Amino acid sequence: MDRPIAYDKLAREDRFVRMRARDVAELKVEQGLPPFPDLASRESIRERVHGIMVGELQAMEGAGRTVYDFPDAPWEFTLDMARQVWDESRHVETYLGLLEHLGGRVGEFPESTILWRCACAEDAAARVAGVNRGLEGLACDVFNQLIHIAQKIGDPVIEKSVDYVLADEITHVRMGSRWLNELTRGDPERRRRAIEFQETIDERFNLGGTRQDGHHEVVPISIAKEARKLAGFTDEEIERLVKSTQRSQVY
Amino acid sequence: MRVLGGWIALTPELPAKLLFGRHVWDCAQHADAWGRRLPELRAPAQTSEPANDGVVAFARLLESPEGPRQTLERIAGAYGVLKPHLVTLYARHLASANAVYEPPTRRILARCLEEERRHAAAGAIVLSRLAGDAAARERVADWQGRLLGALEKAGGITGDAMAPLIDATLLGVPPDVVAPDLVQAPPNFDPAALPADLTRAVDAYRAALTAGDRAAASGWVDSTAREAVSEAIASIGGRITDARVVGLAAIGRQQVVKLRIEGAHAVAFVLLRWAPTHAGWRIAAADRVATEPVPAAP
Repeated sequence: MDRPIAYDKLAREDRFVRMRARDVAELKVEQGLPPFPDLASRESIRERVHGIMVGELQAMEGAGRTVYDFPDAPWEFTLDMARQVWDESRHVETYLGLLEHLGGRVGEFPESTILWRCACAEDAAARVAGVNRGLEGLACDVFNQLIHIAQKIGDPVIEKSVDYVLADEITHVRMGSRWLNELTRGDPERRRRAIEFQETIDERFNLGGTRQDGHHEVVPISIAKEARKLAGFTDEEIERLVKSTQRSQVY
Repeated sequence: MRVLGGWIALTPELPAKLLFGRHVWDCAQHADAWGRRLPELRAPAQTSEPANDGVVAFARLLESPEGPRQTLERIAGAYGVLKPHLVTLYARHLASANAVYEPPTRRILARCLEEERRHAAAGAIVLSRLAGDAAARERVADWQGRLLGALEKAGGITGDAMAPLIDATLLGVPPDVVAPDLVQAPPNFDPAALPADLTRAVDAYRAALTAGDRAAASGWVDSTAREAVSEAIASIGGRITDARVVGLAAIGRQQVVKLRIEGAHAVAFVLLRWAPTHAGWRIAAADRVATEPVPAAP
């Protein structure tokens, strides 16, 4: 097996329709719709849940590749990544169940491969910075919002399921924080590149600027500051993220 | 552990993908337990070497099927050969490990034995579901034969294992024990997911394609998209013998229909974005996503 593999080798059942997130968002805007699910209807929640399900799938695939791609990495790093594979496989199962709960089906909405592409970074430190800290940090924000919406509409199935997944995501971000430090110890240049990669992700994948600082009732997606602190983000990093969301408009 | 992890992304079928995902962590814990035991036996922690070149050759062969249509080989190798072989070796080792001197090793062996038996049983279930016809079962048998040959040459993964390398009598596990390892696979795509009026339009378009009626097919395509659609469809080269709907994804009010188009020599997967217009559903865009050779007849 190649190490690493080209990102276009990601294998899917025929029922999946893969498209660029930007193209999908543009096509929605052309139809007068919001570019991303606004969670204002059950269908919109279903679309968000479908998006998370494929994200979990890609997170499992990405962590699996990290287990394989870095045989010389510290053994404890490999163990953490193997644990993450298992967690993500259970998250996929959870979200498959939620999709069914919402009357949806696998493949109902296009799949974008944003997360997978980040998981193909050649450096292990960049992968954990980009995926574990950048994208799983974003997942903390999105899941927090989904829990809030589930509470509002009185759906304990979604609320409790997502809450369990959120606990795992915090652990994964924490793993990312630990391994970003350990893998780059004594190599400031490698650390700088990895953090730069993460910041690029924080800035780009910001759900069309809907992720902001503020309470759930006031902003579309609130930055989950408490969850992020639990996961090892510093106050300074959170502040930087808040600033970046004020200028971000892509995705 | 590493090979299962690496295969997840390369494996299209959800049941197989999730099977590997489930087991990577178990395998990691097995490796970790053995790695921690090593220094207690006066060897360096968490380091290992293959027993001989034959073991290296076996491992290379095992992980070699990495194409999207080689899931059967992947499962057959890991779950039909390697894991049953590990079960056999663990059981033998456990039977001979001294109960007074070696409880630390025995505990690891007991855990690994139980979990590898469960894995092998779960893999056998997924494999039997995916290898539905005689040709697929023959592929599985051929591949397992090749791997077993390589394993015999190596003398098993320890380099000194006695025949038989797989003891099938050790492999039975009750279904309720295996159940947690298996994720309920979502139902296959059903073309009934298409709205009725879109079904009529797509069916008429498919019929025009297989009849070779370009004018009729073109009538379903928005004038701005005709060139792109023709290009995507022409990638099949020659007459189209079959056109099936294999996927459907919504983008607002528009629907992306994924068609599997088969010709004499190639199969193409094409995304057709259908948009509602005053005249009914029309194709607004097309994108060819893949072309493969026609699968060999069984």
